[in-house]
Amino acid sequence: MEAVVQEKIELILQRKLRYTSANLAFNMLISKMQKRLDSDPSCMKDCIAELESFLVKYPIVAKVDLANIAAL
Amino acid sequence: MLRTLEETVSLIEEGRILHIAADESLLCRLPKGKWIGGTTPYFISEEGGIFTKERLFVNEIDYAEDIKICSYGKYNVFQIVEECFDNGLTMIIMPYGSEVAAKYSREAPEVEELLMHPVVGWISGFDLSEAAEAKVYDGSTLKAYTDRAVAMYIRLSGEKSAMVNMINIFSDDKTDPVIRFPENDLKAKKCSVNGQEVDFAEHIKKKGIDPGMPLVADHNGSYINTSIKGMEDGEVSFFAPVFRNIEYRFATPVSDYAAEFEKRITEKKNCEPVFACNCILNYQKGNLEGKKIAPFEGPVTFGEVAYQLLNQTLVYCEILG
Repeated sequence: MEAVVQEKIELILQRKLRYTSANLAFNMLISKMQKRLDSDPSCMKDCIAELESFLVKYPIVAKVDLANIAAL
Repeated sequence: MLRTLEETVSLIEEGRILHIAADESLLCRLPKGKWIGGTTPYFISEEGGIFTKERLFVNEIDYAEDIKICSYGKYNVFQIVEECFDNGLTMIIMPYGSEVAAKYSREAPEVEELLMHPVVGWISGFDLSEAAEAKVYDGSTLKAYTDRAVAMYIRLSGEKSAMVNMINIFSDDKTDPVIRFPENDLKAKKCSVNGQEVDFAEHIKKKGIDPGMPLVADHNGSYINTSIKGMEDGEVSFFAPVFRNIEYRFATPVSDYAAEFEKRITEKKNCEPVFACNCILNYQKGNLEGKKIAPFEGPVTFGEVAYQLLNQTLVYCEILG
């Protein structure tokens, strides 16, 4: 994942930046990671890794999200 | 699309891979083959919303590279996460009122890896004017179940991906009070409203809240409903569970349910779903009988699955790539 996208995803997970995907699973995953971080702020690395696995697994679906997040 | 019994039998005998929704009187007459099914006599067809026990709603799964059909009880339903194809789609049907459906609804949101594998499906039902039982069918064994889930694992070619999505007419007003529940449960007596513990049924009555409005939870902009089933003896029951770590608000009232639903459908008219199902509450409250909502044709259901159990929602799946 590009550094700029990763930085923005971190901000999304910290709720400092708002991004809603057209993909239900991606929104549910972001929401799940936000809650995980609420209870354990030290798990950012794991949360990013889980989001990255999702995006890598579904490149066709992820392409739009990655472009949109980069442009935030 | 809606098919006659004879047409459906022919498709099965030709070896087609099928998802079938129909009244029990038709499903029990189908031959063995590559199909799964669930009971409902309500559909959204190409002719519009319809109640029929004369025809079956059939989705042909012609995009599959391979399939497997399995059935699960409440103790092993989450094996779907391990047994699915790495690149695929899992289609699951569970009977309304079954323990497996209750277990799935309570635990799915916390299952690791569930969001990594597209899962779509529905809760089978029955004619609301009769005292009937919801069933699901494994066409590969011709077994019918009232207490098990059936799943069809669909393998997709490498360049394709399944995307499961939903249409929900409800959202919230962020200035409304936040409601939290102490446990993951299909019923609740107590809750907290802006941090104050209250009796939930009492709160609904006192504030004059329409219990026909679902609770909604904002999952990063995707709103997930929890509809109220009933209020009895100071206890509120739900069609899908509430979760202890989720913030809820009552949905903003919708003045014209049918018009709002139509608006949301129009926004998605370019979709090419390979599967869709729509909640019986939308069918009833949206006056969908006789109304066409192309391209989202499919069974009208007693619950929808888009990874987790949803309600009062239209769920659909597209194959991209």
